Amino acid sequence: MVRYVIRRILMLIGIVFIISVGSFYLIHLLPGNITTIIEGPGASPANQAKLYKLLGLDRPIYEQYFVWLGNVLHGNLGTSFISQESVASTIRAALPIDLEMIFISQVLAFAAAIPMAMRSARKPDGIIDRIFGAGSFTLLSVPPFIVIILLVLFISIKLGIPHTGVSTYVAFTSDWIANLESMALPAVTLAIGSFVVYFRVLRSDLIATLQEEFITMARSKGISQRRIMWRHAFRPSSVALLGAAGVNIGGLLAGGFVVQFLLAIPGLGYTLIAAINQNDYLLVQGIVFVVSVGVVLINFIFDFIINIVDPRISRE
Amino acid sequence: MSDAVHELLVVKDLSTTFTTMGGPLPAVSDVSFTLARNETIGIVGESGSGKTVLSRTIMGLQPRTNVTVTGSVLLNGNEMVGATESFKRALWGTEVAMVFQDPMTSLNPVMRVGKQIDESLRVRLGMSKQDAKTRAIELLELVGIPSPAQRYMAYPGQLSGGMRQRVVIAIALAGSPKLLMADEPTTGLDVTIQAQILNLLDDLKDRLKMSVVLVTHDLGVVATRTSRIVVMYAGRIVEIGSTRDVFSRHRMPYTRALLDSSPKVSNASHTRLVAIPGRPPNLLQLSAGCSFAPRCSFATDKCHKERPELQAADEPGHAFACWNPLPTTMEQQS
Repeated sequence: MVRYVIRRILMLIGIVFIISVGSFYLIHLLPGNITTIIEGPGASPANQAKLYKLLGLDRPIYEQYFVWLGNVLHGNLGTSFISQESVASTIRAALPIDLEMIFISQVLAFAAAIPMAMRSARKPDGIIDRIFGAGSFTLLSVPPFIVIILLVLFISIKLGIPHTGVSTYVAFTSDWIANLESMALPAVTLAIGSFVVYFRVLRSDLIATLQEEFITMARSKGISQRRIMWRHAFRPSSVALLGAAGVNIGGLLAGGFVVQFLLAIPGLGYTLIAAINQNDYLLVQGIVFVVSVGVVLINFIFDFIINIVDPRISRE
Repeated sequence: MSDAVHELLVVKDLSTTFTTMGGPLPAVSDVSFTLARNETIGIVGESGSGKTVLSRTIMGLQPRTNVTVTGSVLLNGNEMVGATESFKRALWGTEVAMVFQDPMTSLNPVMRVGKQIDESLRVRLGMSKQDAKTRAIELLELVGIPSPAQRYMAYPGQLSGGMRQRVVIAIALAGSPKLLMADEPTTGLDVTIQAQILNLLDDLKDRLKMSVVLVTHDLGVVATRTSRIVVMYAGRIVEIGSTRDVFSRHRMPYTRALLDSSPKVSNASHTRLVAIPGRPPNLLQLSAGCSFAPRCSFATDKCHKERPELQAADEPGHAFACWNPLPTTMEQQS
């Protein structure tokens, strides 16, 4: 187990290195001259050349990379040419919003998926399984932007829970009720997508596990159905669930911008779209780097959890 | 009712029918036998003869859907047929426990073996965490596992097949059951380990005053370890009697065929084993006659048309189901 973790950490370091190269090079892939963007179209070639030198762009690219990497390792992702704000502090302000949104959505998704999958798996093709199956399939086939519109209709307009936008967004620490109110819509939207996946994956794995001989064995001990489900069937059935959750949460971190943009939640996705529109290269670079590392870290953590849940994996 | 007092287990007219896509599948039909306290009975037959289904039905452990059970199973006076799951649950582990066939699949792969033993002790016997652990380690020692305190922490995947089967036995013994159902307890194991496990079961039976139902396809296994034998074919009892009678005075040609097909030490080297020709019948398409008739060299027209019922042989407690039984006068080879 220790060896496995060390090996995974070394791999993680390698992947983060590759990501850093990719994020750094991203700027150099973009067309156009950065000095034109900063100084405006009317700038004189002499000024442009001066700025070019000032930014260190005349130095070889690998040298630029190591300067950048050194700064990144010190937590310095540069200062935006557009807003003159530190990229790191912009990200630091936006990231907790993503994390909170993902956290709430996953709690909701698991809280619904696990008991429903257990209920379904108890009698596959029974009436309850069919209702749950049809329901989850319906949800699966509705795209998130439709879900959002329906949720705005029901939660915000019918139930009267106000939804706040970027300008009025409040942090959890300053007013948690207002914060949760504005989190309700995006979290529920994301939760629905996750729930459908979790429910279906866990249901089918539970059905397979419940056929296993060790479940009959557990039954023969005279323990309750509930205990058999939670203690014997759930853990060996949750490997695929955790794998799906790892990929899914990574995806939400990287791809939550549709929901954020539609609902005006100032998370990383929203900030990224704004940065792209403003040609804020350094901010784009910083967000891409942080999100990529985040996705890798999340998958690393889930791999680790899977190993604890099913000790057979790291033994092989 | 007097049976219920003297006998630990009374099985009467027990039938188990599965509902399948191809129609009703009679896995066990009209099985009756009794088992006294501290007695071991052997149930033998080929694969697919209904042994495993029979042992699970006796315990009430059949699947909950698509199965019909009729007849009666009195376990220490408790009727198991038609009993609710919660009624049976109260008996499982403490009155009757099962040693499962394949130790590779019958242990939970993601649960430490100690915890799997603990579970019965804590949930069923209400022991404290510490007491259960102490007792679980004692049980591991009882079934002959070296350094039991360390093995307590092991996952099933870290143990050998023989060790796992010992753990399975330890789990079955945890609730001190009066009846132990051993369903082919040695099938998945090496020959040397097989003997160890069987001797262990025999020894534990005497020490813990249990009755044992030993299900196997291997007559060698039951020869010295049972007082009586039930021979099953296509879900029915075709011969029943004391171990001695079944081995040396059997009347049913199937029993003879089964005996002939097991290797004997007395055979010369390179003796070709006699195989029973054909294969067990499809239980979905049973004929009206004797199920063994298509494979039987003594079969007559009657055998194909009419099913023989169990009839008493000369010896007490010995019965067989055959229209053309083997002669009694001839003392047969053991």
